[in-house]
Formats: sequence, C-alpha cells, structure tokens
Amino acid sequence: MKAKNILWVFLLFPAVTAFMEKPPTRWVVSQNSSLSVNGSTNINTFSCVIPAYDKTDTITIKDKSDKGVTLSGSIDLNVNSFDCHNSGMTKQLQKTLNEKQFPELHIRFLSLSNLPAITRKPEPVTGLVDIEIAGVSKRFEINYQISEDAENVINLLGSRDLNFTDFKLIPPRKLGGMIKTKDQLTVAFHLKMKTI
Amino acid sequence: MKKILITGLIAGCILFILSYGGLFLGIRFFPGLFVAYDNPLFNSNGSRDMLFYMHAFIISFALSWFWDRFKGLFKGSFLMRGLEFGLVYSIIALLPVMWISFSSLDITVVMVISWFLYGLTQAIIAGLVFAKVNP
Repeated sequence: MKAKNILWVFLLFPAVTAFMEKPPTRWVVSQNSSLSVNGSTNINTFSCVIPAYDKTDTITIKDKSDKGVTLSGSIDLNVNSFDCHNSGMTKQLQKTLNEKQFPELHIRFLSLSNLPAITRKPEPVTGLVDIEIAGVSKRFEINYQISEDAENVINLLGSRDLNFTDFKLIPPRKLGGMIKTKDQLTVAFHLKMKTI
Repeated sequence: MKKILITGLIAGCILFILSYGGLFLGIRFFPGLFVAYDNPLFNSNGSRDMLFYMHAFIISFALSWFWDRFKGLFKGSFLMRGLEFGLVYSIIALLPVMWISFSSLDITVVMVISWFLYGLTQAIIAGLVFAKVNP
C-alpha cells in the first residue's frame, strides 16, 4: 500500500508541477525599437544606428520560477539599415559586416536570470542571447534594464561589448595601418514591446 | 643608369621618412582631416600595405629618371631647380590625375587638395635631392 502511494506521488508530481508553471507571456517588439553599434578608430569615434525596427516579432517568455526564465524569439536586423551619419562610414560598416553575403544580423533571446516585477523604475536583469553577425553566432550574457512606461510599453535596454574578431571579421585599417579601427564595439539595443 | 638608381634610392629613403612621418603627424594632430578615409573606397584589409609603403620609392625612381632626362632644362640655383622641377611634375602629372580622380570618385575637395599638396611637396623634395646629388 505504501509503495503504491509513493508510485502515485511520482506519477502525479510532474503533472501537478506542469500546471503550476505560469503560462507563457508574449511580447511584441514594436517598430520604434532601435539598435546601435558604437566603436572607435585611432582618430575618431563612430555610432551607427538602426533607428527603427521594420518588422514585428514576438518574444515568448516562460517563467519556470526555480529554473529561471526562458525566452524564445529573435530580432532580425538588416545590415543595410545602419546609419553612421556619414555615408562613407556607413558603407564601410556594411562592407566590414559583409553585408552582401550576410544581409541580416540576428539577436536570439535565450533566457533571463529572473523576471522582476516590471515597473516604471528600470530593474537590472541579466540574460543570454545568441548574436549572429556575418554568419557567425556567439553566445553572450547581456546586462538589461527593464521597465514599463505610462503607456504600458515594456522597455528592454541591453548592451554588450564585443569584438569584430569574435565574428571572424577584420576591423578596417586604412593608409597602411595608420588609421585603425579598434576591435572592440559596443552593441546597444532598446526594444519597445507590448504584452499580448 | 647607376646614377639614376642611386639618386632614386637616396630620394626614396628621404621621402619615405618625410612622407610617412608627415602623414603620421598629420593623423595625430589633425585627425578630422582623415575621417573621410574610413570609406570602402580605400583598401581596409591590409593586403596592400606593402604597396602603400613602396610609393616613396616608386615616385623617387620615376622622378629620378625624369630628372636625368630633362635636368638641362632646369636652370638656376639648386633651390630654384628643385622647386621648378616639383612644380613641373605637379602641373603635368598630378593636376590631371587629381582632376579625373575628383570627377570620377566619391572623394572630397579637401582630400584632392591634400593629395595635390602632398605630391607637390614630395616632388620638390625629390627635385632638391636630385639637384644636389645629380646636378
């Protein structure tokens, strides 16, 4: 009899815990979202932006309480949408990112360390993403700030330092190497999302 | 021929130091003038760096031959001969090349003027060397 009870517990436990998981939440990425790439050379700094996200993608959030928060969804950005506020530099970035062969870069959202109560006050949270540039995908931990504004728009701001060479890209150098672009870049994005 | 090669080599060494030294200082002290070079029009993967640094010798050997062939036409002191040589080269060779470059490439006026002045300075320095070494 005792063994039978234990067996029931084992059989029912996964089913019960499955019902206890919160239902997935979906966030729709709005077109006001933006991404910027900031870098420097030995003579100047540059900031290249994709000022408006031209697609409507969703990110699904599954809060598994003890196992953290898993995310699924990605944003796909057109490399030729970058604007470096200087036509030559814009063309140079597109060439460096191998735009002809790989016209899109992708950010795939994988997880969050936790999902804080989203309020007006930005809350720090970390998460994992896969960033794919020029056909090479690398996993990074990102520091986010998450908040919600008066119009119930969720603002997810994330930034991360990465290197051209992480993606097997060569930082441009000009005039026999006298003008050199530094390997390190900062990628920052601001996603504006609505819960559906 | 030996004279042409020797004077070319001497001028090449001097131009190498002055040209790339000047370029290095220009980039360091006037970086704004060089921002426009961050453009795919200019080689960016380093594959032609050797060719870039050979330029001082290429121009020196070419000008050394030109000097040896026409040096009799340049009269006066060594300073005047060097100056006139540089001006002649710039008007005959540089000006038309700069003209076609500006008209066909997506480059700025500042860039073209700086290239012209760079070439003129190189030719005057080479002319002065030639007037001294191979009068």
